Amino acid sequence: MGSHDNEDMGFQHRNEGTLNCPSSGMSTNPLPEKVSRMAMSSGSIFKPSNAPDPFFGSGWDPLVSLSQSDNFGGSSVASQSEFTNPPYPIAMETQGMSSTSHLVQYPSDSSYVEMVPKLPCFGSGSFSEMVGSFGLPECAGISNPGCVANYNPNRDGGIDRTSTMGTQSLDDRQVSEEGALGSSPNGRRRKRVPESSPNKNAEGELNKDMSGESSDYLKEQDEKKTKLEENTAANLRGKQAGKQTKENSQSGDAAKDSYIHVRARRGQATNSHSLAERVRREKISERMRLLQELVPGCNKITGKAVMLDEIINYVQSLQQQVEFLSMKLATVNPEVNIDIERILSKDGNLQNMPITAPQFPSLPQTVLDNELQGLFHMGFDSSSNIDSLGQNASRLKPEQ
Amino acid sequence: MNSQHSSSRPNSSSLKSRFTLGFLRALKRLNRQPSSSSSPPQTVSSPREMCRRYLRIRIAADASMASAVGSRRAWSRALLLKIRSRQSRSSNSSARRVSMKKKCLGEKIKKKKKLKCCKEINKLRKFVPGGEAMDACSLLDEAAHYIRCLNTQVKVMTRIADN
Repeated sequence: MGSHDNEDMGFQHRNEGTLNCPSSGMSTNPLPEKVSRMAMSSGSIFKPSNAPDPFFGSGWDPLVSLSQSDNFGGSSVASQSEFTNPPYPIAMETQGMSSTSHLVQYPSDSSYVEMVPKLPCFGSGSFSEMVGSFGLPECAGISNPGCVANYNPNRDGGIDRTSTMGTQSLDDRQVSEEGALGSSPNGRRRKRVPESSPNKNAEGELNKDMSGESSDYLKEQDEKKTKLEENTAANLRGKQAGKQTKENSQSGDAAKDSYIHVRARRGQATNSHSLAERVRREKISERMRLLQELVPGCNKITGKAVMLDEIINYVQSLQQQVEFLSMKLATVNPEVNIDIERILSKDGNLQNMPITAPQFPSLPQTVLDNELQGLFHMGFDSSSNIDSLGQNASRLKPEQ
Repeated sequence: MNSQHSSSRPNSSSLKSRFTLGFLRALKRLNRQPSSSSSPPQTVSSPREMCRRYLRIRIAADASMASAVGSRRAWSRALLLKIRSRQSRSSNSSARRVSMKKKCLGEKIKKKKKLKCCKEINKLRKFVPGGEAMDACSLLDEAAHYIRCLNTQVKVMTRIADN
């Protein structure tokens, strides 16, 4: 029970609305009972063998129905929902309760580790994660994106519940997923837990990423990381009709398949469309960052619209500069000799931009000489058509 | 690839040197081409001549730049295509075909444009050659490379002009 006590403390420490889960676990809480009730009502929740896939897509639906069907007790639920940020308070709580183990505190016993599943993430479907963590069918269907919010409530509720997980899992699919995946994630989770320092430290570590609510994040982060493959698998599932998810989740750590694994963040939607959208957005922001480095003076600019305006202005100004320079070149009739010198200076200056004129001759001329000769030969060719540049392009291609 | 680190290397295969050579070659050709400037140190007298020369030089700069980059980049391909179609405008038919193809592609891409409703992105399309037919993601990619090459071009031309 000592561990349970720790958990309790952790709860309170972590969340304002601690459930005050008795160390004895689920049994003591009214919630778990309800959860179990729900579990029963929901049917074969725990059975890992259930065909989970169909549920994945529906995400929250089962949860909602569950929550609606069983009213866990507004107060308790409410209290639990305090931690969890947003979206699925009730659902999470029920799950949390059931899962008992949840994420909770790292320093807590390894038993918790097992429990820690990623229950909360109901919505999307990365049940694999859920399963992995629990090993229990409990809140299997937690996918990362949704999970974050879910984690909190689950954790709090779940800490004590560790033992009774089996009964509580909410969704059939979750159960099935969990059952299937259970082993691998648990293993990973175990690794995570010992790594993480005691509650406070863990919190500190995690808080860096998220808004830093508390230890909740820690666990979530760790689990997320561990469950990356699973999550991605789950996330991808939505995208790919769930064919690969199971395989991915089962492959566990080695799940980096050909897919681009995406991890849903806390509080974000987890259907396939939003995930794809998010990947796209991240790509775009990545490119925007590169552009920001190219365009001078854009380091302080934040915001896509302003940045894009700056980029457009810069491109426009560069093009105008080219036009101006070509106009200048048109008016100043360059001499052939000057061309050579220019080449020399140019190539010589390619290395160091600021070079004084007298130094031109001292520049490595051997290489330049070859180019010069080539240039002379080329330059005096009869072809005056610019199309010849096209030919040059084809010629140059192999060099590239 | 070379083009990305070209400016730091004097290597003959760098983008900068490729562009320099090509551009200077074109300039030579242009200088020798017009009858009025057959004798080298002769300033162009009429503004019309000058204008024509300016246009040619500008096209030469763009073409040599695109050639130096090669076909690896969408924008260089589009630029070369545009230039060649313009050159062959006299023959008419090929240019029309090319422009038709571009239109069809552009219509297809309109869907993608609508998805990305950012107005600035659509504005950027106009400036990057070939930007009409790209989605936002690759457009930004091409824009980054294009900016780099424009920088090189400006530097080289400045040196030429200043010399």
